[in-house]
Amino acid sequence: MNTGREQQQVQRGQDTNEVARRATGFGRLLVAVYGVFALSATARAGYQIATKFDEAPVAYLLSAFAAVVYILATITLAKSGIRSYWLSVAAVGIELLGVVAVGLLSLLDPELLPQDTVWSGFGKGYGYVPLLLPVVGLWWLWLHRPAAGQKPAEDRP
Amino acid sequence: MMFDGFFIAGIVITLLAAVICVVAAILKHGPNDITILSLAAVELFLLVYAVAGIIRQASGENVAGEAWEFWGYLITALLVPVAAFWWSITDRSRWSNLVLGAAAVTVFVMLVRMEQIWDGPIVV
Repeated sequence: MNTGREQQQVQRGQDTNEVARRATGFGRLLVAVYGVFALSATARAGYQIATKFDEAPVAYLLSAFAAVVYILATITLAKSGIRSYWLSVAAVGIELLGVVAVGLLSLLDPELLPQDTVWSGFGKGYGYVPLLLPVVGLWWLWLHRPAAGQKPAEDRP
Repeated sequence: MMFDGFFIAGIVITLLAAVICVVAAILKHGPNDITILSLAAVELFLLVYAVAGIIRQASGENVAGEAWEFWGYLITALLVPVAAFWWSITDRSRWSNLVLGAAAVTVFVMLVRMEQIWDGPIVV
């Protein structure tokens, strides 16, 4: 039952390393842009599901999934712990896979996803930012990767 | 359709704030009085727009689209500069000015949507 305290100690111990610094400088902007996408994707998915879910359930569920991924990425990029680091790698990685997969799908088989999602056409409805964002995000996470062998347990003072 | 005065004032204020913040970031300034005040002006505009919106609707002016969608956008837009201010003030690097600028651009996009909802599709 001491996981909460452990987590706190882990985060305090990391304040000076690369993992913790990823939410500073350019990272601030990255988190802000992710936040905007989390907000707009959530609002859009909520609107679609609330008003016209029956028209294209698959596309709208995909919108909701994208919204969850953006929310997770925003929060974990902003937090400083190493668990958050790996969660943000997962979220941003899934985002990249999602935008590429949905982009290819909408190109090869437009019938399957007739209604637009944030990832349709590689995010062209949003100025291709959805395609650019995960690439920049992974690059930033790579620059701020943890030191070799760094594990949560080893960070405790 | 006619552009209404609120929309013109809104795009001028948000784009001006965006330009000020981006230029400050290019000049390697951290968030300062000028950039924060430029975003405060965006927030002030949104507040005036909201009050005017209530008065306009109460006095019987028609909204072309869904009224609840308009208010959803407006309430969310009101939170954007506040969140950006809170997020940028804790890191006084030049990137924080781009955070403020991004907030201004976000509000600009939301204003375009609000204008479309209020007055119908924008025809250029």
